[in-house]
Amino acid sequence: MKEARAAFLIPALLPIALGFVTTNVQAADANMVTVVMSEEPEGLDGCNSNRSTVGRVTKQNIVETLTEIDPKDGSITPRLATSWSKVDDKTWRFKLREGVKFHDGASFNAANAVLAIARTMDTTSGGTKSRGTGGLDCETRTKSFGDLSIVGKAIDEYTLEISANKPVPILPTRMGVVSLSSPNTPTDKLVLSPVGTGPYKFKSWKSGQEIVLERFDGYWGKKPVVAKARYVWRSESAVRAAMVKVGEADIAPNIAVQDATEASMDFSYPNSETTRLRIDMSQPPLDDKRVRMALSYAIDREAIRGSVLSKDVLHATQIVVPSINGHNPALKVVPYDLAKAQQLLAAAKADGVAVDKQLEIVGRINIYPNATETMEVMMSMLQSAGFKVKLRMLEVGEWLDILTKPYAENRGPVLLQAQHDNNNGDAVFSVFNKYACGGAQSTVCNKQLDAQIAKASTLSGAERRSAWQEVLRIINEDIAADVWMYHMVGYSRVGNRINFTPSISTNSELHLEDITFK
Amino acid sequence: MLSYLSRRIALSAVALIGLVVAVFFLARLTGDPTNLFLPIDASLETRKEFAQKHGFDRPVSEQFSRFVQQVATGDLGYSMRKQRPALELVRDAYPTTLKLAGVTLTLAIVLAVIVGAVAAYRPGGLFDRIGSVSSLAAASAPDFWVAISAILLFSVTLGWFPTSGLGDFPYWVMPVIVLMLRPFGLLVQVVRASMLDALASAYVKTARAKGVRERRVVFVHALRNACLSVVTVAGDLAVGLINGAVIVETVFGWPGIGKLMIDAVIQRDFPTVQAAVLVTATAIFILNIVIDLLYVTLDPRVRHQ
Amino acid sequence: MSAANASSSVSAESVNIRRGLSWWQLLWRDKFAFVGAMWLVCLAACVIVGPELLGKEAGAINLRARNLAPGSLEQGWLMALGSDALGRSMLARLIVASRNTLLIALSSVLVAMLVGGALGLVAGYVGRNVGNVIMRLSDIVQSFPSLLLAVIVLYVLEPAVENLIIVLAITRIPSYLRVARAEVLEIRERVFVDAARALGGSRFHILWRHITPVVLPTLLTIMTVDFAIVMLAESGLSFLGIGIQPPEITWGLMVAQGRNYLSQAWWLAFLPGLAIMLATLAANLLSSWIRIVMDPVQRWRLEVGSHSGGIQRD
Repeated sequence: MKEARAAFLIPALLPIALGFVTTNVQAADANMVTVVMSEEPEGLDGCNSNRSTVGRVTKQNIVETLTEIDPKDGSITPRLATSWSKVDDKTWRFKLREGVKFHDGASFNAANAVLAIARTMDTTSGGTKSRGTGGLDCETRTKSFGDLSIVGKAIDEYTLEISANKPVPILPTRMGVVSLSSPNTPTDKLVLSPVGTGPYKFKSWKSGQEIVLERFDGYWGKKPVVAKARYVWRSESAVRAAMVKVGEADIAPNIAVQDATEASMDFSYPNSETTRLRIDMSQPPLDDKRVRMALSYAIDREAIRGSVLSKDVLHATQIVVPSINGHNPALKVVPYDLAKAQQLLAAAKADGVAVDKQLEIVGRINIYPNATETMEVMMSMLQSAGFKVKLRMLEVGEWLDILTKPYAENRGPVLLQAQHDNNNGDAVFSVFNKYACGGAQSTVCNKQLDAQIAKASTLSGAERRSAWQEVLRIINEDIAADVWMYHMVGYSRVGNRINFTPSISTNSELHLEDITFK
Repeated sequence: MLSYLSRRIALSAVALIGLVVAVFFLARLTGDPTNLFLPIDASLETRKEFAQKHGFDRPVSEQFSRFVQQVATGDLGYSMRKQRPALELVRDAYPTTLKLAGVTLTLAIVLAVIVGAVAAYRPGGLFDRIGSVSSLAAASAPDFWVAISAILLFSVTLGWFPTSGLGDFPYWVMPVIVLMLRPFGLLVQVVRASMLDALASAYVKTARAKGVRERRVVFVHALRNACLSVVTVAGDLAVGLINGAVIVETVFGWPGIGKLMIDAVIQRDFPTVQAAVLVTATAIFILNIVIDLLYVTLDPRVRHQ
Repeated sequence: MSAANASSSVSAESVNIRRGLSWWQLLWRDKFAFVGAMWLVCLAACVIVGPELLGKEAGAINLRARNLAPGSLEQGWLMALGSDALGRSMLARLIVASRNTLLIALSSVLVAMLVGGALGLVAGYVGRNVGNVIMRLSDIVQSFPSLLLAVIVLYVLEPAVENLIIVLAITRIPSYLRVARAEVLEIRERVFVDAARALGGSRFHILWRHITPVVLPTLLTIMTVDFAIVMLAESGLSFLGIGIQPPEITWGLMVAQGRNYLSQAWWLAFLPGLAIMLATLAANLLSSWIRIVMDPVQRWRLEVGSHSGGIQRD
């Protein structure tokens, strides 16, 4: 028996011995900043920089853009381009900054910029690879360009001309999302170690554990204070908050509102997300405007603010936040008026609308902190107004299937919990997808609206702004397509060692150059 | 012995193949990963292109034959989500989970045998009652709750241990203790029960009649019997640990196989799901064979079949 | 025979064993088991009438009374255990959630024990080939990561109570199967089985009347801790976001939701966790009592008047 017992224990003891020979994680370092995020980035390729999980690490840290969008009002400032001018409706010319180098030694000039743009747009240099046969599916293209395609041309060493296949009045703004990688980056696959022109270069990525960036000595701009940055990830907000509190990390860019209990460390910031319940207008009784308005009147938005959601959230009236070009400040918040809601329902009922049909709120788990609780509260508010409502919470994949076309045949009247983020400066990035008849997430089909949207996309300057404002007015006053909730805030915890103020884009870009030590 | 072994291995191989096929079809039943991979705002055309390019719009049978061809060449697929070969992801995640599970199981067995044996020494006595209740309490606490509470108490308030992450000894304390609670609780019960059974049996009575000291009777003769039950149950626990380390890995941020698998299912990253299941299943089959062999060697009665 | 009878009746009188004790009296002899049984009766009452009586209170959202601490009767008896993040009464929610939780746990464990135990008996006794096939099937199920199976099943079907029961039962079956088979393999070589076989007992008869009673106690031991494992597995699924979804409630879901408030409102996760623990404890105490009562070798411990600890020396 003793032998058997020993035989059993030995293979079991081996793991103990091995257990303490662990991989050495980066030791804490006075000049190194540790950032704890909520998930590991899926990749680090520069062309995916406008996906927030990737952009947090790369955007304006490793890779840079021609222009930089100021999150406060959507205006643009020079970054890799020093000036730009319009040539015609579809063409713009950019003057590039001189003396800039990529981390691998290549020079930044018009020719290399052309290559970088071609790679992002999935076109091989000098031509257009037909879609659907390989290609990188860069987030930059799929999210922000769609069927708008651009091609660069080098006029001289530092003059770049970009032309599009459709009129594009805000091309400089659009270039604010195109991150430029080194010309030596392979064009047939995404890379895990990006090379750009930014103040930091990629050092290492220990899969599942940490990503490390190091200051780049040949940077064209001001030398940043932080010499090294380390990114780790924990899925629980309480753990992230704890890490910063005890000093294991310096910044947690995103923690839940209930974990933000330290006034000296926690900052709330508007995070450019807007939440709503999307009304499926094609399904009765939601096709009746009175029913849709009743839904909005039944919600006590004040009660939700400060209880399940942060007290700093703003009431929303439209899909874009106030800092976006095209925001309509004249739209009013629908007040909480239970009596009015019941009145509207009664009126609809009198006209034969089936107001007793059961509505379904479909939510997405963890879409924002306390998402489930918020939906439960709204369900109970709607029930108090006389609606028959049930709730179904779904995982991301299934929720996406309901969000995007093609829609299921017998879906019934659905109110979909949704959130949209637009920090790219202009309403064009939000409106088509969600409200145009052909939009991938749209439940609206209104000819007048479509015409107005098409018109606004072609204008520029003040005309553009008022055209978008009209679009938003139609959506919200004439059609009443959504039950509006809030412009959301995020909470960051910043450790006592450093100085950093989160801004509206902290959720998707964390500029290491803005961090200083106390 | 050799023929038994080879037959077991052959049957296990067949079972393994069956499992991988089952996972292939079941995973795809959860839907199409296009929506999850592309950004929310991607247009309809982009989605169609993507699905076409990666073959998601082909009928499942066709996808399956492509999969079989790939596996035959040793290629378990490429994870689009993480932009690396699936097998590589699994290979990198495995050691972490194995080490965690190994340490936890060993500790659980050792402690459980001690506690269970002492409890069986005086059944109904104070130690027994307290031991039973506390081992049951340990097995009944939700692990993520214990994990987060432990972090809040021991890391934030008391500052004794680091909150989370991989590292050397201090980083292991809380994850191992949290993961250990349930197997420990179960094993104490099993050890105690089988020892009590053994203590009531004929051969123990004989030993006592022969004048063997009580302590030796309990801790040697009866314990031997308990070992058998422990071996059987420990096998299940080892499997359960590999599966169930998901929550500990998630809370403490350890990049193990459990978290990899769950994330892959939720993100519909099929190649990773398939690779992870294949590797896990192989490990479990091997473990089961080892346990069966151990059982055969330990129990002479079974050996003489 | 008669001499043995005589001697046993003599010893019966001298040691004051009262045969034919009722269940009730036997239960009273073991105080811990008694308390456990009473708690289970309470829970049964909650399960049967809870949702009907307190369903409304469990869903009554009151955003101005969020996260009230337990311990005071100021806000009424319903708030004695505090309120949750939406101001709903914890007491009411715990009681109403008992139905789903216990239903799921009990059903899964029962199904797993019956199916797994039966298959294990067959695998251990009936013959090498059948045994091997069953074991390999069991291996397949066991090496199918249980969370993975749960996630997939709950994606393809709805995360409804019935499906959850099926999934949880399937993941537990291999445990019972292995243990039952192992015990059978060990027992079938024992003298009493040989004797039964020599006396002409059929295989089924031997399995049912001789082997099962010996295997059952071990399975019962596993069952009680499995009870907790299933309740906790269900809680783990909720933690990962794929278990029972609101507005349905289970204790597991309450723990998972409460984890977001651990430092501000610890009772949100602690109380349902405590409920799970107490339920399992009660079940365990009761089941060890059942084991003792059912096993003729151990039963005397309860029937003898006093409950002294330690092993009696002959």
